[in-house]
Amino acid sequence: MRLLRLAASAVGALALGACSLDLQNPNSPTAEQVTTSPDGVIALATGLQGRFATSYGNFAYTAGLVTDEFASVSAALISISDAEQGAVPSGTGIADAVFNSLYRTVRSADDLLAGANALSGQFDAGTRSGLRALAFAMKAEAIGEALQSYQRVPIETFGITSPTYVGRSQALPFVRALLDSASATLAATAPSAFFNSSILTPGLNLPNFVNLLRARYARMANDNAGALAAANLVGRTGPTALSTFSFPVPTVNPFANVTGGANGIAPRRQFRLSMAPTDQRATYFVVASTATGRVGALLDTWARYANPQAPLPVYFPDEALLIKAEALANTGQLAAAQAAVDSVRTDCTGGRGVDDPKACLQPLQGTLTQAALLDEIYLQRRFELFGSGLRWEDARRRNAVRGPAAAPAVPSEGQRCWLPYAVGDRNANPNATFAALPDPAEPAAYPAGCSVN
Amino acid sequence: MSLDALRRGLARSTLLALLAPTLALAQPQTGSIRGRITDAASGRPLADVQLQVLGTRLGATSGADGGFVVGAVPVGERTVSVRRLGYSPLQRTVTVTAGGTATLDVAMNVGAVNLSEVVVTGTGAPTEKRKVGTSIASVDSTIVSRAQAVTIDQALQGKIAGAQISQNSGGPGGGGISVRLRGVNSFISGSDPLYIIDGVIIDNGSGQLTDLGGRSNPQNRLADLNPADIERVEIIRGAAAAALYGSRANNGIVQIFTKKGSIGKPRFTLNSRIGSNELREQQPFNLYPFDINGQPIARFNYQDDIFQRSMTSEHNLSVEGGNDQTRYFASVNVLDDEGILRSTSSNRQGVRLNLQQQLASKLIANVTGNYVTTRNQFQAFGEQNDYGIMGSLFFAPSSVDFRPVNGVYPLPPALGTNPLLAIDRIRNPQTINRFIGSAKFTWTPLANVVVDYTAGIDNSNFEQRQFIPRAAVLGTAPLSTGRAQSVFSDTRVINQDGFASVTFNPSSSLELRSTGGFNYTSQRVATTNAVANGLAPVGELVGAGSVFAAGQTDVELRTLGFYGQQEVNLWDKLFLTGAVRWDASSTFAPSERWQLFPKFSASYVALENRGGLLNSLRFRGALGWAGSQPSIINAYSQYIAYAQLPFAGRPGFVNDVTFGNPTLRNERARETEVGTELGLLNGKVSVDATYYDRTVSDLLFFRPLATSTGFSRQFAPIGTMSNKGIELLLRTTNVDTKNLKWESTITYTRNRNLVESLNIPDFQSAGGYPNRIRTGEPAGVFYGSYAARDCRTGALLVDSLGRYRRSNQNVDMGADLAARRRISNGECNDSLNAVIGDPNPDWMGSWLNEFTLFGKLRVRALLDGVFGNDVMNLSTRAQNAGIASNSREFERELLPYGNPNKLPPGFNARTQGIFEYWVEDGSFVKLRELSLGYTLDMAPVRRWFKDGVDLTLSGRNLWVWTKYSGYDPEINLFGTNGGGLGSGQTTAADRGFDFGGYPIPRVWSLSARITY
Repeated sequence: MRLLRLAASAVGALALGACSLDLQNPNSPTAEQVTTSPDGVIALATGLQGRFATSYGNFAYTAGLVTDEFASVSAALISISDAEQGAVPSGTGIADAVFNSLYRTVRSADDLLAGANALSGQFDAGTRSGLRALAFAMKAEAIGEALQSYQRVPIETFGITSPTYVGRSQALPFVRALLDSASATLAATAPSAFFNSSILTPGLNLPNFVNLLRARYARMANDNAGALAAANLVGRTGPTALSTFSFPVPTVNPFANVTGGANGIAPRRQFRLSMAPTDQRATYFVVASTATGRVGALLDTWARYANPQAPLPVYFPDEALLIKAEALANTGQLAAAQAAVDSVRTDCTGGRGVDDPKACLQPLQGTLTQAALLDEIYLQRRFELFGSGLRWEDARRRNAVRGPAAAPAVPSEGQRCWLPYAVGDRNANPNATFAALPDPAEPAAYPAGCSVN
Repeated sequence: MSLDALRRGLARSTLLALLAPTLALAQPQTGSIRGRITDAASGRPLADVQLQVLGTRLGATSGADGGFVVGAVPVGERTVSVRRLGYSPLQRTVTVTAGGTATLDVAMNVGAVNLSEVVVTGTGAPTEKRKVGTSIASVDSTIVSRAQAVTIDQALQGKIAGAQISQNSGGPGGGGISVRLRGVNSFISGSDPLYIIDGVIIDNGSGQLTDLGGRSNPQNRLADLNPADIERVEIIRGAAAAALYGSRANNGIVQIFTKKGSIGKPRFTLNSRIGSNELREQQPFNLYPFDINGQPIARFNYQDDIFQRSMTSEHNLSVEGGNDQTRYFASVNVLDDEGILRSTSSNRQGVRLNLQQQLASKLIANVTGNYVTTRNQFQAFGEQNDYGIMGSLFFAPSSVDFRPVNGVYPLPPALGTNPLLAIDRIRNPQTINRFIGSAKFTWTPLANVVVDYTAGIDNSNFEQRQFIPRAAVLGTAPLSTGRAQSVFSDTRVINQDGFASVTFNPSSSLELRSTGGFNYTSQRVATTNAVANGLAPVGELVGAGSVFAAGQTDVELRTLGFYGQQEVNLWDKLFLTGAVRWDASSTFAPSERWQLFPKFSASYVALENRGGLLNSLRFRGALGWAGSQPSIINAYSQYIAYAQLPFAGRPGFVNDVTFGNPTLRNERARETEVGTELGLLNGKVSVDATYYDRTVSDLLFFRPLATSTGFSRQFAPIGTMSNKGIELLLRTTNVDTKNLKWESTITYTRNRNLVESLNIPDFQSAGGYPNRIRTGEPAGVFYGSYAARDCRTGALLVDSLGRYRRSNQNVDMGADLAARRRISNGECNDSLNAVIGDPNPDWMGSWLNEFTLFGKLRVRALLDGVFGNDVMNLSTRAQNAGIASNSREFERELLPYGNPNKLPPGFNARTQGIFEYWVEDGSFVKLRELSLGYTLDMAPVRRWFKDGVDLTLSGRNLWVWTKYSGYDPEINLFGTNGGGLGSGQTTAADRGFDFGGYPIPRVWSLSARITY
């Protein structure tokens, strides 16, 4: 019986001691662990910047395919070579990838905002200001990129299971308001040194980034005064003039990710061939090649992103000059506008001291009319802002959507207005079913602009 | 060597050191048992009755006058089991005194249905079958050993009604086997039943730690178990029977009992088997000596180089014995199994010690320990097309000479690797060191009270490596720079199980039994992974690399359950049982965690032990609930998790796109089952028939989330599925004479699966393959493109070149509905995709015939068939692809114009996109087992071996009758539960894909068994 008592107590101890059913997951932290500690919130800020780089890459990649910038390499999937000919059927991976990754960035920004607000007492004012401004700015740009890819987009998505889609008339002010919040936050309290050195990705200048975006979306809203004012605030010389993301091993630049294999793309040769032969921007972006793509597109290879660890410019600083020139030209200040364009044309080695595209061209000859000046601005935007995704919106706003260009035809400017809505959202969002949100009709005749309602 | 010398030798070995004290014990005093057996109805004496003194090896067979004598029986109360074909087995207890003779006269009743067999699975405490309201299949050691199979699950193929036991791959070490009881009952929780060995829940995972072909299934961990150690297997198939196992019982339970040893002097048994494995049949390849331009070209049949005739050897040595206090069984097992695919092999070495000890007069301990080392050398197959041998075979044009030139193996032009290089240089070794042990204490403080406690552990250390040399695969870095990988995984399952049972007899016609128990299981898997690319020219370990990556995961899942059961036994004819299990798993949200699983069952024995036409008749019925949990990969799905996203060299977090489900709960099955057992024709025929109807609700899968929220999916209940079916077991004794016995066993299984409802859109269940979960269809139907038909004639539509038109292609069928209708002359091809096949069989059946001639020669043949299932032949599709062009059908495209067999150019390119084209009838009948056994018992042999020498010549999977054109319709791309890497999008419903599978070999073997 002594044996039995011993056994019984051993059984009892084993059975009761070992069987807590509330197990923590040691493999990944929970929402509570991340959002309630300063370290966790700081890591969210890093995660946000990582997602922003990815979604920006997806946006620029797809925009380049459906305009005239990129084409598929020989090993690419059919859906990529279809897209380079202007065909993006509903449900295609690339149509969904742009949307899904942009809204993951939005979610990360919202997470960061919520965390920074909830833990406001645990961050000093400057750090909190930096966290909030970063979240506002990246959320704004992510929704802004969605606006440049889809006719209607959701804007309120945090804590909601079925977000509502709105047109540009509502979404664009929303984006600009976010950027104004970012700007106001930075103005009220400058980011702390800790934020700038340990949270913000090295190479990113937050005030310049916010002002550039304010100029970009003011221009999109045809707010010439706002665009001019913001563009003037963007630093254009010195090391902070170029903001970049860096990709230490084992991470790679988003373009390096899509230059080989099944998603493979390369710059179309026509980018280089369309330039003045002396334009140095060709060598900044590409290396001449004789390669042909999956459906016969003539290709060059990347120079800028050939190294998988090459830094990715968050924006090209001369975009500010070109926005400024456009605002000036639109408001009749033609001489000042022409000077701004010339500043871009004559940017040459040494230039403004940053590694940005440099045309090294002669200044414009004579005095250009407003129309000629605007044409020149569009042309410079094409070469200066290559691969940034902005060309698609340029094609839209100047009524230069020219329809699908089936290979071997070489496309020019934009090939379609919009991407079909993401099936990933359609599958679960009652506001995004095919009935509630039909895919927008592409124009019936080309060239065309796009309805932005 | 004398017996004493042998004993001394063995006693020195560590394995048997523990037994030495028992061997040295003096023999107890003995007496004998004598008696006569008669037929209860006629009073005639019965010959050939088998008598055995339970717990010993002592026994006898009755003579023509029904008389028998058993000598040297240890004194005390002894139970004797009495068995004869066609009669109900029974047990009698006699008291043996020292030097005395106990008398045992028995009258036996006719009956082929054994209702007195004691089962323990799903019943709380050990219970006679007659009292159980559900069907329980049991298989004993002779059936397992006669199958001459490498693993226990192979041995069960074709033996159990209601079970679909499929060998998914034919590799060494058993291949990957899946067992599906009563259809597929879950998407995410696997289809395999819960396996229990001697009361210990064990791991039967089939996951591979490195990429050996995505979801392919080279081996499941039941392969670590030595089939020769098995005494008995009990199988319960449904929720009603398994309710006491709560949230893990939905897929049924397989409980395995290992041998216990028996009282007597040590008895040694040596069983050796030598086998030869071969590819049953080569596939036809394109050997046309001209290329597409009509130019002469050399072609090669690589199958000659890839496959080989391989050898298997297996040796089992066991010893058993004991006395009244102690019984032991110990065994050593060595298996060397070479694969028919060159460079693949499996090797298993195991030892087992089972010990039963009487600790006190009312307390018995049973301790088991099994240590096994399994070493495998595998090659990738299935959907691994970078370095998988089968993929490379199917995708390489037959015009490449793969033989090395100056020591360098040429690579194929488009896809895969050189299979000869893979055989020669790519290495995938793995080592599994595993211990399964249990300790069980049974206490019977009073005659009517049993208390039982079992603790057990299953701990396996699994190391898997992979070495792919530089420049061994096509394509770009990192794989082309070589890969060395080492993954360690430690899996341990800890069990505690206890119950107490009390029996009351308020009156002679009423018996009540109350049982209560608990069960606790903790399953933990910890994995560490190191991988290097950019290998140095020499060196196969991770250290040889220049670019490194590492990973670590640690997952635990705990289950705790309590149960209570009340049984009512009226007049020993009507048995009613009510039970409830209260169960919780750590996987589920605390608010949903504790679930009740009730069951009710009834059994009515209408007739028993009658002579004549109808000998026995029992009816049974049950209603029960059971659950299932997601596999351990999804153990933490209730938590909203964040994922690491380092950026610019700093650690970062982002929300996991799979949103946690804070109200996650288990899948729940409700099953009703009714059945009957009949004994007919003086015990010559027995029938066991069951009908079941099971509905599983709250099926778990990934529910899509609106991606605008930043999430993409959530693990959640998505629908309801049902399985209804019939199981039939028919045993007949066709001839029963002195010199010839002929017995047959027939099983018939019919299951109808239906996805009843889904609250999400229908979805492709296996990423990249056309299996689909669709409301109103069986789970896993093939859904995809088809060849469009003319609506009026039903004839296949062809284009101007004579090629089929793909239903889902604008170029073939027009861009809109109007064009489709115009092309097809009507309204019949309106959908782009359709259900084009169903991998679920209509029915399955087996037919076993056993002949015994002159008591010495045994002939046995098992036919096993699956009918009405579709298989998608993606292997031949790969051969037909332009980059491969190595099929016989592609050969027809190369023929000169004018040849009647000529296929139009582009015909095969077109069929690539028509998935219907690759669906074939996968029905088959296999000669699963054929064996010829003979006992050599001439005097010279018996001088050395008292029981003679058993020789068996046997074969497995010898012939297959099928219309299927690939290697084997049984092999399946997907494993048991999704298995290895990249398996996130595979469900238990995904079956019926032949894509680069490892063919199942034909095996001939010769074995000899001696007992000393």
